[in-house]
Amino acid sequence: MKRFFLPMVAIVFTLIPCITLGAGPFYEGKMIRIIVGTSPGGGYDIYARTIARHLGNHIPGHPNIIVENMPGAGMLISANYLYKIAKPDGLTIGHFGGGLFFNQLMGQPGVEFDARKFEYIGAATKGDPVCVLAKSVGITSIDKWVNSKTPVKLGGVGPGLFTPDNCVRILKVALGLPIQLVSGYKGITEVRLATESGELAGTVGAWSGLKMSWRKFLETGDAVVVLQAVPKPIPDLPNVPLAINLAKTEEARELIEVGIHSNSEIMWPFTLSPGTPKERVEILQKAFQETLKDKEFLAEAEKAKLSLDPITGQEFEKTIARIFKLDSATIAKFKEILFK
Amino acid sequence: MLEMVNAFVSGFFQIFSWTTFSLMLLGIAIGFAVGILPGLGGPTTLAIMLPFIVKMKSVEAFAFLLGMATVTNTTGDITSILFGVPGEPTTTATIIDGHPMAKKGEAGRALGAALLSSLMGAIFGAFALAMVIPIVRPLVLTFGSPEFFMLAVLGLTFVASLSGEVLLKGLIAGGLGLFLATVGLDPMSGTQRYTFGQLFLWDGIGLVPITVGFFAIPEIVDLAVQRSSIAGERVGKLGGVMEGVKDTFRHWWLVIRCSAIGTFTAIIPGMGGATTQWLAYAHAVQSSPDKERFGKGAVEGVLGPGASNNSTMGGSLITTIAFGVPASVLMAILLGAFLIQGLVPGPDMLIPEPKGHLTLTFSFVWINVFSNIITVGICFLILNHLVKVTYIRGSLVIPFILLLIYLGAFAEKNTFADLFLVLLFGVLGWVMQRLNWPRPPLILGLVLGPLAENRLFLSTDNYGLSWLLRPGILLLILLTLVGAFYPILRTRWEKRKKEIGQAPPSEVIHKGEKGGLRFNWETIFNLFLIIIFICALWQSRRFNFRAGLFPWTIGFPVLGLTIIQFIKTLIVEEGEKRDGLLPNAGHKLPTHIVNRRTAGIFGWVVGYFVAIWLLGFSFGVPLCTFIQLKFGYREKLTLSLILTVFAWAFIYGLFDRVLHTPFPPGLLFNFFSKIFIGGSNI
Repeated sequence: MKRFFLPMVAIVFTLIPCITLGAGPFYEGKMIRIIVGTSPGGGYDIYARTIARHLGNHIPGHPNIIVENMPGAGMLISANYLYKIAKPDGLTIGHFGGGLFFNQLMGQPGVEFDARKFEYIGAATKGDPVCVLAKSVGITSIDKWVNSKTPVKLGGVGPGLFTPDNCVRILKVALGLPIQLVSGYKGITEVRLATESGELAGTVGAWSGLKMSWRKFLETGDAVVVLQAVPKPIPDLPNVPLAINLAKTEEARELIEVGIHSNSEIMWPFTLSPGTPKERVEILQKAFQETLKDKEFLAEAEKAKLSLDPITGQEFEKTIARIFKLDSATIAKFKEILFK
Repeated sequence: MLEMVNAFVSGFFQIFSWTTFSLMLLGIAIGFAVGILPGLGGPTTLAIMLPFIVKMKSVEAFAFLLGMATVTNTTGDITSILFGVPGEPTTTATIIDGHPMAKKGEAGRALGAALLSSLMGAIFGAFALAMVIPIVRPLVLTFGSPEFFMLAVLGLTFVASLSGEVLLKGLIAGGLGLFLATVGLDPMSGTQRYTFGQLFLWDGIGLVPITVGFFAIPEIVDLAVQRSSIAGERVGKLGGVMEGVKDTFRHWWLVIRCSAIGTFTAIIPGMGGATTQWLAYAHAVQSSPDKERFGKGAVEGVLGPGASNNSTMGGSLITTIAFGVPASVLMAILLGAFLIQGLVPGPDMLIPEPKGHLTLTFSFVWINVFSNIITVGICFLILNHLVKVTYIRGSLVIPFILLLIYLGAFAEKNTFADLFLVLLFGVLGWVMQRLNWPRPPLILGLVLGPLAENRLFLSTDNYGLSWLLRPGILLLILLTLVGAFYPILRTRWEKRKKEIGQAPPSEVIHKGEKGGLRFNWETIFNLFLIIIFICALWQSRRFNFRAGLFPWTIGFPVLGLTIIQFIKTLIVEEGEKRDGLLPNAGHKLPTHIVNRRTAGIFGWVVGYFVAIWLLGFSFGVPLCTFIQLKFGYREKLTLSLILTVFAWAFIYGLFDRVLHTPFPPGLLFNFFSKIFIGGSNI
C-alpha cells in the first residue's frame, strides 16, 4: 500500500484541479474575438469596439475580448469566414452587414454561407432609413416631390447595399417618385459632400448614421428629412411622413415592408458560427442584452452618439426565417428592382 | 480674422499641458517601435490604441494618436532608405533614390535629408494650412465630380516626368498601372473584373503587397548577388548625416515646393499620401537640370517625397476633420477616434470658438509639428547607429528583410493571398528593373486609376457631357495639356542643346551593330506585355458598358504603344545604340555568377513563401531563417541560432501574443488537425 500512497496522492492532486476547472465557467481564461467586416473606424467597427469593452464583464468567467478587422468584398470575406472557417466553439463572433443575408436570397455571387444557419446573438440597433434632401433643391415635402418636373438626383454607393442604393430603388418603384439614382460615390460622407456642393439633391441613409455624418448639415436646416422608411416614426422625427403610408397599392406596401422594414431589423447582427453549442449561444445572448443596458457602456455610447434599439437573438432568427419564406415571384421582383 | 489667429496661438499652448505632452511622447515612442516595421505602422497600431483613448480628453487623445501617426511616416522613410522595403505605402517614392544612396555608402546623407525635409514639410504644411483654412471649405465645395476627374488626369500627366529618358516605356507602365487598377468589383455595376473567382481580389490589388514586392524584392536580389553589405563602399563625411542636412538647405526652394504639393493636393478628398509622394518625386525630377541622376542616388529624389509626406499629413487631417472624408485607412481610424470622442467632423472644426472647435484643429496641426520635431531629434541621435546596419554583411540581413517583406505584405489586410501578390509583383519589378522599364509610373497609374474612373462616371451620370464646358474644367484641361507636353518638349530641347558638341548620354553596348532583327530579353518582355494586354482586352469583351469603358479606353491605346515599343526593340538599324541598358545589372561580376546567385535568391524567396504557406508564420519564419543562415550562407551555428530565436521571438512574441495578428496556421497544420483532432465544422 505504501508504494501506492505517493502516486495516489499525486493523481488525486492532479485530478482536483481538473475537476474544479471542468466545473468552472467555460469562458474563464479564454479570449473572444469579434471579427468586424469593415476596416477600422467605420460604423460597424465603432459599435463592435464599444461593445467589446464591456461585454466581457457580463459573461461568467470574464473572458478577454478583442476586435479584429477583416474587411473586403463588401463584408463578404468576414461573413464567409465566420460561416466556414471559424471554429464553432463560441469564441469567435462576427459583426458585418445584415444586408448580405437578403443578397443571399437574391443569389448574389460570392455568398458562401446560409443565413438561416448562423447562430444570432442579437443586434444593438436597427437600420432606420430616411430620405434627406438639401433645402436648396426646393423640395421640402412629398407633394412638391411628386410634382417635380425633373428627376431628383439621389446619391448611391454601390448595387446591393441596403442604404442608400436598395432603399432608393425600392422607394422609387413603390412610391413612383421622380428619382435618378447616381451611384458609385465612395461612402455616405462623399455623398454628403456632393450634396453640399450642389451635385446631388440628397440621398437615403440610416438615421443613426446621418445623425453623425450629416449633423451640421441637418442642424442648420440646410438639409431636410422629407421621408422616413420605418414602421413607426423615429422619436427625433415626429412629423416626417412614413413611406409606408404613401404606398398606394398592396404591392407597393409589400415592397416596402419586406424590402425595407424587415431588412432594417437585420442590418447590424452579432453572430456565431453554425453549430456553436446552445449553452454558449445563450450565455452570449444574455450577456449581450445586459451589456446594452450597462451604465458605463451607455455613457460611452452617449458620448459617441451611438443609436441603440436592441434586438434579441431569437427575434433576429424569426425575422430571418420570415424573409427566407418569400415566394419566388417576389424574389424575382426584387432582383429586377435591385440589380438591373 | 483675429479669432483665427487667436485659435492658432491657443492651439499651440493647448498641447503644453503635462498629460497632453506626455501622451504625445508615449504615442511617439509606440509609433517609433512599430513604424519601423513595414505594413504594421499606422493603421494596425492605431486601431489597437482606440480603446485607450475613450477615457482621455480630446486634446490628449489626439496628442497620443497623432504622435503615433506622424512618427510612422518618418520611420517608414528609414526602412525605405536602409533596406529598400517600403515602411509605409506613403514612403515608397523614397526608395527610388534613397536606397541607391545607401548602397553607395551615403545612407547617413539620405537619412539626414529625408528627416530634415520631413520636418520642413511638416512646419510649412502647418503654416500653409493655417492660412488656407478660411477658404478651404468654399474651395473644396466648388469641386464636383468633373473637377475631381480632371485633377486625377492632371496627376496622371506626371507619368511623363517619372519616365525619365524612356517616355514610351513609362507611358506603357502607367497604362499597365491603370489597367491593374480596374481589377476588382466595379463599383458602378457590380461586375467582376479580372478577379478569377477570388474574393480577396474583389477590392482590387492591395497597394502594400504591390509596392513591397515591386521595390523590395529587386533590391534583395541585388543584395544577394552582390554578396556584400548594403553599402557597397564606405564614404567619409560626404555620406554623413550633416551632408544631408546641408542638402536640405541647399535645395530649400524645392523642399518648399514639394511641401506645397503635399499640403494642397491632400486637401482634395480622394488624394492622399500614396499619390502626393509620386507627384512630389516627379516634380523633383522635372525641375532638375540633370535628370539621369535620378534613380541612382540623387538627393533631390529623397528631399521631394520626404517633404511632401509630412505636409500631406496636415492636408489629409483637414480633409478628414473638415469634411469627414478620410483619404486613407489611417485617417479613417482617426475619424473613428473622433466619433468615439463625441466630436463631429465638419465645418464646426474650422470655426473659431465659441461656436466651433478651431483651436482643437490647430492643436492637431501643432501636434503634427512637434511630433515631427521630437521624432527628428531622436532620429538624429540614433542615426549613426542606424547607418551601421548598412555595413553588416548582406547574408545576415537578407533573412530579416525577407521577414519584413512577407510580414508587411500580410499585415495590411491579414490575408495570406497577398503574399502571393508580393511574389508576382516581385518578379515583375525585378524584370522591369533589369530591362530599364521605369516602375513609378505603374504605381501612379494604380493609385490614380480608381479615382479617375470613379469620377468620370459620376460626372457623366450627373451632367451628361455638359461638364466638359465648365470653366474650371477648361482651365484644368489646359493645365493637363501643358503638364503632359511640357516635360517632353523640355527634354527634347535640353537634349538638342547637349547634342551640339557632346556624345549622346546613353550607353553604347554594341558599337555599330549590324542591322536586322534582335531577339533578347527585352523583346521577350515586350511580347509578354502585348499578350497580357490582348488577353485582358479579350476577357473584357463581356463587360457591360460601364464596367468596360475604362479598360477599353486604356487598353487599346496602350496596346498600340506596346506594339510600337516592341517594333522599336525588335528592329535594329545599323550602328544604332541601345538606350542605356546595364550589363549584368551594373555588377562587376561575370554573368554566370550573377545568374547563379540570382537564381539562388529567388529560390530562397519562393522557399520562404512555401514555408509560410505550409507551416504558418510562427514556424515557417524561424525555420527559413535558420536554414538560410546556416546552410545558405554558411554562418556559424551559434550566430544562426541566436538570430533564429530572435526572429521567432519577434513573430511569436510581438505579433502573435501581443498584437493578436491572425496568422493563418499553415496548410500542414490544418491538414493534421483535421486528421487527428477531428478538425472544424467543414
